Amino acid sequence: MSLDNILNHWSDYRKGAEEGGHHDYEHRWAMAINLDLCIGCNACSTACYAENNLAVVGKERFEKGQAMHWMRIERYWDQQELEHPEQGASFLPMMCQQCGAATCEPVCPVAATYHTPDGLNAQVYNRCIGSRYCSNNCPFRVRYFNFYSYYESSWPEPMEQQLNPDISVRDKGVMEKCTFCMQRIRSVKDKAFMEDRPVQDGEMVPACAQSCPTSAIVFGDTMDESSMVSKLWKKHQVERGVYQKTKLAKKDADLRGYRIFEELNVDPSVMYLERVREDI
Amino acid sequence: MVVMNRLINPGAGFARAGLAGMVFLAMLLMSSMAMAVKYDVVPPSGTHTGEDVPQPIEFPHDIHVKDNDINCMYCHTYARRSKVAGIPPTSKCMGCHKVIATDKPRIQQLTKYWEDKESPPWKKVHDLPDFVHFTHEKHLKTLAFDRDFPVEDVKEICAFCHGDVENMTVANKVKPLNMGFCVNCHIANKDLGAPGDCWKCHK
Ligand code: SF4
Ligand code: SF4
Repeated sequence: MSLDNILNHWSDYRKGAEEGGHHDYEHRWAMAINLDLCIGCNACSTACYAENNLAVVGKERFEKGQAMHWMRIERYWDQQELEHPEQGASFLPMMCQQCGAATCEPVCPVAATYHTPDGLNAQVYNRCIGSRYCSNNCPFRVRYFNFYSYYESSWPEPMEQQLNPDISVRDKGVMEKCTFCMQRIRSVKDKAFMEDRPVQDGEMVPACAQSCPTSAIVFGDTMDESSMVSKLWKKHQVERGVYQKTKLAKKDADLRGYRIFEELNVDPSVMYLERVREDI
Repeated sequence: MVVMNRLINPGAGFARAGLAGMVFLAMLLMSSMAMAVKYDVVPPSGTHTGEDVPQPIEFPHDIHVKDNDINCMYCHTYARRSKVAGIPPTSKCMGCHKVIATDKPRIQQLTKYWEDKESPPWKKVHDLPDFVHFTHEKHLKTLAFDRDFPVEDVKEICAFCHGDVENMTVANKVKPLNMGFCVNCHIANKDLGAPGDCWKCHK
C-alpha cells in the first residue's frame, strides 16, 4: 500500500476485520504458540537479536525502560500456593501480534506504520519520525524505541560483520518491533516468484520458530487452508475477526487456543495455546 | 511518444540535435514508433550527472557492447539469477583475452592482475542505500523473460536504470536511482505487477 493509497482510501483502510478487513490480502501470516511446550529458554529471543540486528542496550538503559527486545519472554508465577512458587513458573513469548486492526497504525502522523497486503503491520524506518504515538497506543507494549544510536556501542569491531544485510540497522529516533521476519518472508516470496509457484507451507520459518528447541512456535499462512497454522487455529476454534468467542466446549481439554486482548477488537495474528496444569 | 523515446535512449538528448537536427528528428520519430510496438513498459524518467568513478582499468563498455555486440548478461551473469548483477570474475575476462587483443596496454594490465592472482579492485558505480531491497532477477523476469522480450536486446531494459552504457567507456551513473525514480516507474507499470507496497523495497 502506497501513501497515495492510504490517503485516498483512509476509511476503507480502517475497516475492522469483522467487515472483511481493509485489504485484498495475498497472505495472512500467523503464529500458533504452544505455551505447554515453551520452557522459557530465551532461544527465540536470542535468535531474534541475531536475525534482526537488534542492539544490546545494557542493564542500565534496560532498567530505565529503554529496552530493546522484539521477542520477550514474560514470566508468571501463577501457582502461589506451592511450597516453592517458582516451580510453577510459566512463560509466554511476547512479540508484535501483527494485529489485523492494529491500534498503532492510525495514530502514526506520517504513515510509517501501515498494513501490508501480507496482513502484517509494517514499520518503515526511513519514514519514522520518532513521535512514539504507535508505541503508546499498542496494547501489548511490544514496540521499542531507539533512544540512542547504537551503531558503534552495540557492535564493536569486528562484531558488525555479523549484522544481517537483509535488514537495516536502525538509527536513533526510530521505532522498531517484530516484523514476523519480513526479510525472510520477502526472500521466500521472491524465490516462489522466480519459480512461478505459490509459497509453500513450511517454507517460511521466522528466526524464533527456527531456533525453538521444543518447536513451540508454528508459523504459517492462515489463508492457506492446508497450512499447519490454519489447522491449529481451526482445531482450537480461534478465528480471525471473531472476538470474545464463547467456547461452548471450553471444558474440552483440547480447546486451549486464545488470542491475547481479543476483546479489544485488534484481531491479533498470534494464537496461544494455554498451558495444561496437573492438579497437585 | 517523442518524449518516451528520449527516455528509452537517454543519449538522444535534444541538445545534441545541432546541425543534423532534421535527420535526427526523423530518426527519432521512426525509432519511437518501433519502440511503441516493442514496449508496453513505461520506462522510468529522470537524469543524473554522476561523478566519474575511476576504475583500475579503463574498461571500455562501448567496444564490448556496441562494436562486438556482447550481451550485458554474458559478463553480468548474476543479473538474471540474483539480487545483484555482479562484476565478472577475472577468469571470465581471461576467457577471451587470453587470445584477443593481447597486444593492447589495457589487456596487458588485466593479464598482469591475472598472473599475479589478484582481482582488479573494481569500484561500484550504481550503489543503492542499505535500506533498499532491490533484485535484478525479478525485474528481468518481469520485463524480459515473462514477456518474451528478445534477450539479445536486453541492454534496452538495462538502460532504463543504467543509461546508455553502450556508449560509455567506464560506466557512469546517469540515472538518479532515488525513490521518486523507482516509484514513478512502479506506478506507471502497475499493470505489469509493479508493487506499490513500502515493504516491497524498504527493509
Ligand atoms: S501488537 Fe502492537 S505494534 Fe503490533 S500490530 Fe498490534 S498494536 Fe501494532
Ligand atoms: S518473527 Fe522474527 S522478528 Fe518476530 S519475534 Fe520472531 S524472530 Fe523476532
